[in-house]
Amino acid sequence: MDKTQALLYLALTLFALGLCGVVIRRNLLVMLMSMELMLNGVNLSLVTFANQMGAAEGAVLVFLIFVVATAEIAIAIPIVLLLARRRRTLDADAFVDLRG
Amino acid sequence: MTWLLVNLETILLAIFAVSALIGGVLVILLRQPMRVAMALISTMIFLGGIYGLLGVHFIAAFQVLIYVGAVMVFMVYVIMLLDPRDPATRHRFSPLVIPGVAIAAVIGGLLIRGVASEGAQAAQAAPARAFSLAEFAAAFLNEYWLHFELTSVLLVAAVIAAIAVIRVNREDHG
Amino acid sequence: MSELVAIALAPLAGFLLNGLLATRLVPRPYGHRFVTLVGCGLPILSFVLTLIAFGELRAGGYAPLSETVYTWIAIDGAPFEIAFWFDRLTAVMALIVTGVGSLIHVYSVGYMKDDEGYARYFAYLNLFLFFMLMLVLGRSLLVLFVGWEGVGLASYLLIGFWFADPEKAAAGKKAFIVNRIGDAGFLLGMFVLYTALGTLDMDRINAAFMATPGPAVSATLVGVLLFIGATGKSAQIPLYVWLPDAMAGPTPVSALIHAATMVTAGVYMVARMSGIYTHAEGASQLIAWVGVLTAFFAATIAVAQTDIKKVLAYSTVSQLGFMFLAAGVGAYGVAVFHLYTHAFFKACLFLGAGSVIHALSGEQDIRKMGGLARKIPITFVTFAIATAAIAGLPPLAGFFSKDEILWFAYASERGGSFWLLAIAALTALMTAFYMFRLLWLTFFGESRLDAHAAAHVHESPLSMTGVLVVLAVLSAIGGFLSIPHVLEPMLPLPGIIAQRSGAHLPIVIMSVALGLAGLLGAWWMFGGRAERAKAFGAKVAGVRRVLEGKYFVDELYDLLIGRPLLWISEHVFLRLGDRTLIDGTLNGLAGLAQRTAGVMGRLQTGHLHFYALLALAGLLGALAWGWHHG
Repeated sequence: MDKTQALLYLALTLFALGLCGVVIRRNLLVMLMSMELMLNGVNLSLVTFANQMGAAEGAVLVFLIFVVATAEIAIAIPIVLLLARRRRTLDADAFVDLRG
Repeated sequence: MTWLLVNLETILLAIFAVSALIGGVLVILLRQPMRVAMALISTMIFLGGIYGLLGVHFIAAFQVLIYVGAVMVFMVYVIMLLDPRDPATRHRFSPLVIPGVAIAAVIGGLLIRGVASEGAQAAQAAPARAFSLAEFAAAFLNEYWLHFELTSVLLVAAVIAAIAVIRVNREDHG
Repeated sequence: MSELVAIALAPLAGFLLNGLLATRLVPRPYGHRFVTLVGCGLPILSFVLTLIAFGELRAGGYAPLSETVYTWIAIDGAPFEIAFWFDRLTAVMALIVTGVGSLIHVYSVGYMKDDEGYARYFAYLNLFLFFMLMLVLGRSLLVLFVGWEGVGLASYLLIGFWFADPEKAAAGKKAFIVNRIGDAGFLLGMFVLYTALGTLDMDRINAAFMATPGPAVSATLVGVLLFIGATGKSAQIPLYVWLPDAMAGPTPVSALIHAATMVTAGVYMVARMSGIYTHAEGASQLIAWVGVLTAFFAATIAVAQTDIKKVLAYSTVSQLGFMFLAAGVGAYGVAVFHLYTHAFFKACLFLGAGSVIHALSGEQDIRKMGGLARKIPITFVTFAIATAAIAGLPPLAGFFSKDEILWFAYASERGGSFWLLAIAALTALMTAFYMFRLLWLTFFGESRLDAHAAAHVHESPLSMTGVLVVLAVLSAIGGFLSIPHVLEPMLPLPGIIAQRSGAHLPIVIMSVALGLAGLLGAWWMFGGRAERAKAFGAKVAGVRRVLEGKYFVDELYDLLIGRPLLWISEHVFLRLGDRTLIDGTLNGLAGLAQRTAGVMGRLQTGHLHFYALLALAGLLGALAWGWHHG
């Protein structure tokens, strides 16, 4: 198993773990962190490919993902904060207003 | 000893990889959010280490600076703000644990199998070649400068959105 | 040479003018005159044009005039044209149609004077004339069929003229529908002919059948199919049931359409298609027997009827039977001859009946008439002449034509038989009897009128009595123009069976004797006081009831055909087809959509984890699909 393949396996596993976390954890913040884990997995795969092909474009994309992830967190966390203040809980099952 | 030094890169890579993996698993298993955050930080740092081993030092720097230094710090602040007696901490898992794990496992398996079937050919395709920061900068400022500028737009949008969220809330409670 | 078209188009113009403009004009003082002028003037114009065409025909040595108006449609290069044709037979028919038609139009002026649908009446009558002329002038079966259907339409409109009365409207419907049944047979005949011969032009069809070898199709089949149409239009068994009901229309309509012209279209068609029928023995036999049996059957019913118009209606059915008898034994010219004489005396009888009804302010039941001879003399005299004509008393027109029919029924090489003669002779006896019965009960004896009618008895105006006189004169002298002789070059008379050639004179004497016997019988039974008739009626009460009830044929048809069709319509088409299948499908689909939506709605639980799981499942599906399809 060569380096590239191993790293790719790792990246995909991290992605799957993040995916899993979104579905199985109740805490809203932990769900957000699982989404960060997914992004990290993707980043790793990009870097691996960039490294293997010697293309700088992969790194460019990684940088852009950094920016996007930051922006996303910057907005998502205040929203979660405000929601949590209203309901006084971080339990995702408490927010079922979208029913029907 | 020489064997150790010759294969240092591979060994470090293996250590970092396994550690990152363990961190990832812990993210989804630990009960308290603070511990989850710590696990995630450790995963990110180890990933940074992997990037460094792959030769893209600037990406590793970015990883630690931006991801750990900004994003996760922010996350930790928020966790500290919130009540630990939250009932969410008592029940870790949602009602959809089993189907969730099953489907995620299947997806992961499919993806890995996909890589496995292609990987053997791709390995012979081209030998690995590192690239330098200079190449990265050149690519950024030549072909991808539009994307670069657009990220600044994105960040402005994020700032405005954050302010808007807080202000709306202030007016509600105000 | 475009006057052939003009003959047909003149009444059409009358229909359009009266139909479209008259409703606006009639309220004005000259409106009524306009309608009369257009409505009567144009048919008279048609008559004049027909005379001119006839003159041209004679001048050209009777070579047929032909005129193609336009090509209606061309299928695979084979054109279907609207074309007119004028030969001897057409001339006879067209002259009868326009001549008698114009007379009846003039009569209607007086009869329908006070009716508020005056303009509509003339419009419809002109429309009828247009279609009837298309029928007789047409060169191909297609044009004939257009006219055939068109006269059916006009008949419907005119029978149900006073449509506010549901019975009258129903009579109109019945006429149209029963005719349609016959038309199905006619259409099939047309299809067979076209498939076999590739043309519908009647002259070409006749030529094809007269040539040897004949065409590949069975002449008997075609003959029978076309005759089915004729039974509908010309009121033979089994499709005659509409004609008595058609008496619901105004009396001039009964005279024109249901005596002189429309019902004779079937006879005309058989005569025109003589090329087919001379080679179709089975069909000709069928026609002869249907004709004679219908004649007999209708005569028995007429004996017991009490409505003046119904007696005449059944008499028409009976006389049409005679015409078909003649056509069935190959004497087409004789059939047309009887058509010609019948037009005169039957129209005179119907119009006379109309005059009586008019005089009695609407009474039609002969049991409430009597003693009118002195009070409405012109009507009486003309009616009497026409009655004698139909009874076959010489030297009136009916004698000549009926005598020829009896002769050929016995002696024609193409199917003449003793039995045909016997039944026909019996029918002739009954014809004389019931016609004189009608005459006696209506005009002689003591007056059985009710008070109101008796006080207002008056002779009809000149427009009506004038026409009666003309028709009575024609009934008297019309027989001297020997139509079979005129048509001989075109429709040759059949040969005579050798052994029977000596029977001509005895048959002539017999027919006169039958007419006189009928006269005497009616005189004896109805001429004196009413008791003799009543006593006889009481003796044969059962038979009389059957005859009065017209053998209950209408009820039989209703039971055998009407009720099952209604049942099928109700249960199969309405309940099963419409409500269960169609509505059920539509409602079922809607219900299905609703239920599906209800089920799908349960996916919106509001739980984030569930949504995320669904997204994962979708992702899994996409991956699996991509994996399997390379």
